[in-house]
Amino acid sequence: MNGLSPLLLRAGFNYQLRHRWQAFLALVGITMGVAVVLAVDLANGAAKASFALSSAQLTGAATHRIIGNDGQVPAALYTRLFTSEDHPPMAPVITQTVKIEGYPGRYQLLGFDVFAEGAFRADLPSAIQGETSLGDWLARPDALAISQSAATALGLKLDDSLQISLQGQSHDLQVLVISDNDSVGSRDLLIADIATAQAISGMREQLSYIDLILDDDDLAWFNGRLPASVKLVDVQEQAEGVVGLSAAFELNLTAMSLLALLVGVFLIFNAMSFSIVQRRNLLGRLRALGVTRQEIYRLILAEALILAIIGSIIGCILGIWLGQGLTAIVAATISELYYQVSSDAMQIGPFTLFKAVALGIGGTLVASWLPAHQAARTPPLTTLSRAALEQSRVRQIPVLLGGGLILVLAGLATTFVLQGGIVSGFAGLFVLIMGAALITPVALPLAHRLLDRLPLGGVWRMATRDMQRHLSRLGTAAAALMVALAATVGVAIMVESMRSSVSDWLQDLLNADLYIAASGFQDGVSLPPGMIDEARQLPTVSALSLYRNIKLPIDGQRTSLIAAQLAAPSRQGFDLLQQQTDDAWSGYEDGGIMISEPLANRTGLAPGDSLRLPTPAGDVDFIVAAIFRDYASEHGRLFLDLSVYREYWQDARVDTLALFGKSGQGQSLRQLVSERLADRYAVEFTEARAIYRESMAIFDRTFRITEVLRILSILVAFIGILSALMAVQLERRKEFAVLRAIGLTRSQVSLLIMLESAILGVLAALVAIPTGMAMAWVLTDVIQLRAFGWTMPFIIQPGPLWFTLLLGLLAALLASLYPAWQASRGHPAPQLRED
Amino acid sequence: MKRILLLLSFYLLAGCGANEPGPAQQTALTVSSTMGGTVDPGFARALTPREFVFPADHGAHPEYATEWWYFTGNLSSDRGEAFGYQLTLFRVGLKPGSADADSNWRSHQLYMGHLALSAIDRQQHLSEERFSRAAAGLAGADNNPLRVWLGPWSINGSEDNIFPLTLQAATDRFGIELSVEAGSKPPVLQGDRGLSQKSAAAGNASYYYSYTRLPTSGSIRLQDRVIKVEGNSWFDREWSSSALAADQAGWDWFSLQLDSGQDLMFYQMRGKDGQPQIYSKGVLVDREGRVEPLSLDNTRLSVTDTWTSASGTRYPIGWQMRIPRHAIDIEIQAAFADQEMAHTVRYWEGAVKVDGSHRGLGYLELSGYSDN
Repeated sequence: MNGLSPLLLRAGFNYQLRHRWQAFLALVGITMGVAVVLAVDLANGAAKASFALSSAQLTGAATHRIIGNDGQVPAALYTRLFTSEDHPPMAPVITQTVKIEGYPGRYQLLGFDVFAEGAFRADLPSAIQGETSLGDWLARPDALAISQSAATALGLKLDDSLQISLQGQSHDLQVLVISDNDSVGSRDLLIADIATAQAISGMREQLSYIDLILDDDDLAWFNGRLPASVKLVDVQEQAEGVVGLSAAFELNLTAMSLLALLVGVFLIFNAMSFSIVQRRNLLGRLRALGVTRQEIYRLILAEALILAIIGSIIGCILGIWLGQGLTAIVAATISELYYQVSSDAMQIGPFTLFKAVALGIGGTLVASWLPAHQAARTPPLTTLSRAALEQSRVRQIPVLLGGGLILVLAGLATTFVLQGGIVSGFAGLFVLIMGAALITPVALPLAHRLLDRLPLGGVWRMATRDMQRHLSRLGTAAAALMVALAATVGVAIMVESMRSSVSDWLQDLLNADLYIAASGFQDGVSLPPGMIDEARQLPTVSALSLYRNIKLPIDGQRTSLIAAQLAAPSRQGFDLLQQQTDDAWSGYEDGGIMISEPLANRTGLAPGDSLRLPTPAGDVDFIVAAIFRDYASEHGRLFLDLSVYREYWQDARVDTLALFGKSGQGQSLRQLVSERLADRYAVEFTEARAIYRESMAIFDRTFRITEVLRILSILVAFIGILSALMAVQLERRKEFAVLRAIGLTRSQVSLLIMLESAILGVLAALVAIPTGMAMAWVLTDVIQLRAFGWTMPFIIQPGPLWFTLLLGLLAALLASLYPAWQASRGHPAPQLRED
Repeated sequence: MKRILLLLSFYLLAGCGANEPGPAQQTALTVSSTMGGTVDPGFARALTPREFVFPADHGAHPEYATEWWYFTGNLSSDRGEAFGYQLTLFRVGLKPGSADADSNWRSHQLYMGHLALSAIDRQQHLSEERFSRAAAGLAGADNNPLRVWLGPWSINGSEDNIFPLTLQAATDRFGIELSVEAGSKPPVLQGDRGLSQKSAAAGNASYYYSYTRLPTSGSIRLQDRVIKVEGNSWFDREWSSSALAADQAGWDWFSLQLDSGQDLMFYQMRGKDGQPQIYSKGVLVDREGRVEPLSLDNTRLSVTDTWTSASGTRYPIGWQMRIPRHAIDIEIQAAFADQEMAHTVRYWEGAVKVDGSHRGLGYLELSGYSDN
């Protein structure tokens, strides 16, 4: 900003000093914007970093991995490779998700062979050596190693016992090793000898996978050595396909972070506009004194820069503090649903801070550019006139309206027309909201015109007229509140839509009376065949369906193949979106497959197309009989008739059984099963209702963080309105003094301010509702489809809409309390003399 | 022979040997921690001489804590290039008794393998170590026909009489594939009818027998070059639940095949004071396989040459041995200096040449020097 005279700078500085409140509010705007974006970014980063750390520990130095088409690798294959000459470094691994009795969340039980681990996870052998004898580690069926951080989190000491449960069975383990070296295992890893893990998981002849360290020559070594039932995959490629952090959860956080950014930029714009708008008198005088446009332009940008730097620094500090709180919430949610995350996983990288500071400074400069430009452009005489300003604002209404509409259309076009990923979807959404924000100030004079026709008197009429008179101040505040409210309602509608779609889908799907599983619905264990026959012959059973679930790599993603013999009522639970023929189920019986919508979208398959599946006997093409609605996995699922599956896979196992009782006998069916089957077989039986409840609870927990972020963005918007109203009130002190002098009581002045604010809040909410609906529509129909491959009916419940209206009103009223109190305080006389 | 002590000394050497422990060393150090000072009383001990029954005793004796099948030999190609080799499979009982049957990967037995090849003409020594649990077919020992294996490394015997034996072991850099014939000499029972006392404490002894000269032929691989070779091997079998005495530091072990047709084994137990102890013993085997015991009384050893390895360990690689009673006065010199085995335990084991009153070839093992 060279070329600015010191005198001019001092004028600017003195102005800020005299209007400390305004400077402070501008700072608050910048600070909050920076803080929220930084906090969400930090929480997001912590979640991802935790996941990356976890998977790095799982992977170690491995470059490749042998995985089974059905999720398991025969242990005999490892022996055969290990005893072959010139074999590359390899290590057998067993991994299972387990629960620890008395602790929430899930943990990874990892079985390693300490002798094979040296090349892969070198810390492990030395950790075991340091703490226990190799003999105990290998021989004891209860030996367990955990990291120091896991020990701290679980409150365990050396030699303490813990009970883990897997597939409905409990196992007592004793902590023999606590490693100081956290890279041995993060908080969610329980490490045992491979024999122990085999015994616990019941995988006596199987491994989860074999880790390998390979160079290009070694790849050729495997030619002819691997059976068709396994695949050699690149660890890096596989990691990309592994479900780790649920994509839904990540999308959720990303969306929220973007909205925080949007609200942040608005706050800054809001604050800077005020500081300039209010100074139009001063600026007009300066222009009249011969200060050039360029100089004014630079002066304002220089001020903005200084505010931006200070605000960004404070914002960073506040953001880190806020980030810790958010990280704790995110960590708690992820820990419950996916894997243990430490709330101290938050890492403040220079890039994260840089982004936040860049947003603060860049956002402030961008937000100040328009006001600075306008301040510089207005001729000296009109600059002096406040009325002229408001007049010009009113004249700008068509421009705002037009620009806003263009942006809304551009946003929709970007979202729907541009073929692309999630990024273009979000970009379009962003533009759409910007457009809506531009339109928001238009609502104020519109409201004035409408309300003016109502037979209102006194303070009420004054308040409606102020809508137009103070357009320049209130317009941006309304826009900021609108963005926050729109975000709230948009996300709420999206979550509601998702929730009710998932709920309907689950209820259709879970239409049996009772489900029986050997394993608590986990991989790897099957039902005793005798039990299935007995269940079939139970007197109250009218029909039953059998399921066998395996994982197949399809297009590099582990995809569920469910081999199922489906009874008629089970078939009715499917919502078939597209079918090859009218009778897709007969196609299914003839060896066709039913693929889920996400799988169809991922692979581009339509009914009648064929999908190549890796079977133990080699690759086989299967015809797609139909596409069904499914929200179980974004990687997709497919159903194949059980008898066809058995033919190709030579696997007679069944893991889940669905029982339908004769009508009205659901209750007695349950009783019969518990009397006749549950005691003699190690099976779990669950009513559909219980599965439904558990699934919905998981859904709700996934979106708990959303609630927090919504509250946060409302808080930010609230501060925005507060600062706008404060600024207006400060500027209008003289006006209020005049009003008091001509006979308005204190409470009438207070009422005036509160009324203005309430109207503002309601107007913002009214614009926010359609905007939020459009946003929810984009989120549901575009972004979800692109992210997960599923579609869902777009459902708008009245609840969130009313809530938004109420929220806008309450937020605005609350924000007006202090300014109202301030304005009514003190004597009018000195205030009239001032200025 | 002393090799039993090699294992048992792990705990003494742990942490002092390797300067830059790589992953393999770290794994190996784990092994050393298992060798703790005392032997689990649940293991059987070698207290009295036993009746050796073959071929049964060629197989594993899991009731004892440690055991090995130890092959060394000097070989030459038809172009006259000289090579030395070592293939040893060690069995370590981590706990007495049989393992839980909860998983077929569960085992109380660990196998460790050492493979080395000395290309004498180019003074190149290559070696590798590997480990595995004795479970799931990864490693173990079968009897009659003898099969001891650790991953792809294996010692395969023939039915009834174990000979001819096949040795197969390779790494990506080198390997051996050898057929070992019976030769003309019967096995030599070391010590008192095969009971070899290592220190004063009862049970600090091993069962120990040797085949001192086994005609060997086959091929070795050096990088991508496969070389046909012939020569003689020495095969030691030993098992025990023994430990080094507190005052013992290590040993110097000689296995020499003399051109005269005699074979000579001698091990010198060294105290921590550096002095030879009375438990030092040996045998002289004549052309017909008759055995004369050797002891400190009639065998004199002195160091004539030393070599310091990169890790700073000083090894006596040149010796003079005098056995006046048998008119033996020989110089024993390493075929080349750097034949250090820098693995879990750092020791020196390599081919030697014999000169003086008798000429011949042999192997020398030096342990307990890196323990500083």
